[in-house]
Amino acid sequence: MPDVFKDYVKKKFSRPAPLHGVRVLEVCTLLFGPSGPSFLAEMGAEVIKIELPPAGDVTRSLNPFGWFYKEQSPMFMHINPNKYYMALDLHIDLGQQIFKELAAKADIIEFNLRPGVTRRWNIGYEQIKEANPGIIYIEKNGFGQWGLYAEQDRPSNDGASQALSGYAWMSSFPNRPPLKQSIWICDYYGGLMGEVAVLAALHHRRKTGRGQFIEMSQTENIMRAMSWVWPYQQLTGKGVEAAGNRDQCICPADTFLCADGRLAALAAPAPDEFMGLCKAMGRPELADDPRFREHSVRLQEENALEILKIVAAWARAHTADEIEARGREFGFAATRLHNAVDMNEDPHRRQRGFVKEIDDPLYGCYVEHEFPVMMSKTPPKIKWTVRPVGFDNEFVMTKILGRNQAQIDELYLHGVLGKWKDMQGRRPPSDWDGQAGVIIRR
Amino acid sequence: MTEHKRPKWADWADHIRALDDPAKNFEKPEALDHLTVIDLSSRSMAGPYCTSLLAELGAETIRIEPPGGDLVRSYSPNGVMHRGTGMAYLQEGRNKYHVTLNLETEAGRDMLRSLVAQADVLVETFPAGRMDNWGLGYEELAKLNPRLIYASITGYGQFGPESGRNQFDYDNVAQARSGVQYATGEVLPEGKTVAEVPYAVSTKAGPWIAWAVSGTFGALGILAAAYWREMSGEGQAIDISTPEAYERLNDYMLHWYADQGVVNERFGNLDTCLWLYGFYPTKDGGVFLGGLRLEMWKAFVDIIGKYDDWGAEQWTTLAPFMKKDWQLKYQAMINPETRQYTSQELTAKSIEYAKLGRLAPITPVVAEIVPPWNAMHDEVWRDRGVFAPVQDPVYGSIICAQAQWKSTETPPRTKWVCRPVGYDNGYIYLKYLGYGPERLRELGERGVI
Repeated sequence: MPDVFKDYVKKKFSRPAPLHGVRVLEVCTLLFGPSGPSFLAEMGAEVIKIELPPAGDVTRSLNPFGWFYKEQSPMFMHINPNKYYMALDLHIDLGQQIFKELAAKADIIEFNLRPGVTRRWNIGYEQIKEANPGIIYIEKNGFGQWGLYAEQDRPSNDGASQALSGYAWMSSFPNRPPLKQSIWICDYYGGLMGEVAVLAALHHRRKTGRGQFIEMSQTENIMRAMSWVWPYQQLTGKGVEAAGNRDQCICPADTFLCADGRLAALAAPAPDEFMGLCKAMGRPELADDPRFREHSVRLQEENALEILKIVAAWARAHTADEIEARGREFGFAATRLHNAVDMNEDPHRRQRGFVKEIDDPLYGCYVEHEFPVMMSKTPPKIKWTVRPVGFDNEFVMTKILGRNQAQIDELYLHGVLGKWKDMQGRRPPSDWDGQAGVIIRR
Repeated sequence: MTEHKRPKWADWADHIRALDDPAKNFEKPEALDHLTVIDLSSRSMAGPYCTSLLAELGAETIRIEPPGGDLVRSYSPNGVMHRGTGMAYLQEGRNKYHVTLNLETEAGRDMLRSLVAQADVLVETFPAGRMDNWGLGYEELAKLNPRLIYASITGYGQFGPESGRNQFDYDNVAQARSGVQYATGEVLPEGKTVAEVPYAVSTKAGPWIAWAVSGTFGALGILAAAYWREMSGEGQAIDISTPEAYERLNDYMLHWYADQGVVNERFGNLDTCLWLYGFYPTKDGGVFLGGLRLEMWKAFVDIIGKYDDWGAEQWTTLAPFMKKDWQLKYQAMINPETRQYTSQELTAKSIEYAKLGRLAPITPVVAEIVPPWNAMHDEVWRDRGVFAPVQDPVYGSIICAQAQWKSTETPPRTKWVCRPVGYDNGYIYLKYLGYGPERLRELGERGVI
């Protein structure tokens, strides 16, 4: 282990955050929108999540088969840590005014709405730019701000992106119907890439003082990640089809059924790895077989199917753990298939602090994933989870806009600011004492 | 499809397009043209993907391969090559300068040190410890260049009990370790075994999504580190494990198990958490149907003419529909309905419903499940610059997915798709090390480059 990561987990909170001092306003719902600002919040940015009172983000209602954690959506919790929760009615003039005041003091603003809505609310890019020319303003949605699909006002979401990009088509077994992923990959991946755009814009602003407008379509973004598919189709004139668990570009690389009924994945394309696998199988001569010796020859369809058949027969005679152990011993990549039990109980994840316990004033202790980028001098970290709708109104209004209590009460009176509806996921957990987690207490 | 009538807000669309159309990308500045990046990736596409993102934003990116080239150049379906390069690397060689360097030689390592002393970022994907064994670990290179941002993207990370594994990082193995593959795939029909139905198993995604995700997190971490460096003057080491990066996008699965002891299992083309949300068959293929609000689900039921039959008027909450048994029940009721239409017909109905339906403008999401071939030939994506071919001096006209976002000031752009092995040795080693042709010839003879 390099010294630079010695005691990384232990010393996380004695080190600064990389994005300290960056302020973000988020008007986003579901997953594509909020996931990006969360990544910034985990890296230390001050993210103010603005919801429409009193029901807020619809994600608060989502749940696996009816399970909520202390009345809260586990999905909402996973995707919205470290934020400040404000409920501001952007449909009304005073709400828009407050938003503009905040925007004047922000670095980044994020939306996921249909095209044209921000302008209708008088908080479109041009309107905000007047008050804050350096603003970095991103709008994320299904089809962008222009083009036929956008103009048709098509609604979209993650599943639509998996469908329209060809991602689902190439992710099933051959001659089976296209398969949807169990995670909302186009949402999360769009959120992630959106922040690459935003941080690049932050660098540009530092150099030039200029802000910018960014738009992202989640379908276009996932197609960027589909790599070899595009030149392959162009140059061969053939469409890409599904190949099950087999990696079409690397051989051998597949998932195999093992003697214990479990699955193991392995990959061994490089000469040393392939030799290691052949030795592990007790078939060292295969490494010299003209069909298999060179990776590009081994990839040819009939050769690939032949070697995969040989590996499959070998795997079937061993347990998944044995396959993983052979990989370590003989120097090729191999693993047993992991599930939720491994996520929670694997000592490697725990000792790296990737899986850790959060101690939250409202939601108590629960297990969560850490930000997956470990930075030796500026460790990103999850600190707290979600809050009820409008929970931090007083803090935001006082800290950033200097409003006193009477002025804040006035805004409540006019419905500009709002608090949670008495509804699952919007109100505090039932065991809340009325004080815990409140930053400015009356 | 009927003639497209432009919406009321068409002036907005025109205004934004005038500002951010990718066709005008080359008129604009580049956000990262102040950075020099060294890419030492080996066998993994996560590293090249990471540096592609930086290179698309203008970073001068030097891709270092061993003499003979990195293994990733051979990654290609059926082993098909285009002018000596596989299909995968034709996407991720983009905008980079390609040099060769033999890190097994002391002379090669010295040349790398000289490059690193002049660089901002280094990306590597060797199993942990290998760079240290070469004397090229973070601590040593940081002595030469304290501002260096040193990013390692690996299978097991730089610390933790498994980090000593001498194994390279592959996408399919990372997908298997992330928990995502476990919960994705067709459900095994009752009474059947995997031997009988070999496709009803945990199934990975077709694209290299684990590599793409760790590479993108890598780019994000590097940009954040570069931001902090502007304040502190200090570089740092970054550690990303590909399975962890992909697992971070796995939502409620960890929490559900840790709190309830429930292991999230495969649910086919339905969604454990969402309704209406799944893939459904049509006359000519299939569509995705989505409607996460009650009104959208009702609107869908209206579109298929079952609003009254199924009693949609009475529904007041989506909650019961999210339960497993109701999902399966309604899936079985929906399937024969959607089979009566083509995918295009259902899509058109949804767009139409947004204008004229009883719940308009609310309408469900309907999206045809298309093969990648259709996606690439979709005029809308082409119009938006996603598949604009790159005119490459070596490889000819090549389609690269690009313009993954549009922006008014510093959009990403692709200048060339790839370079042959060692193509830029002359330029880069002259520019950074002052080595002319004579010196390079000698280094070539000694097997250093």
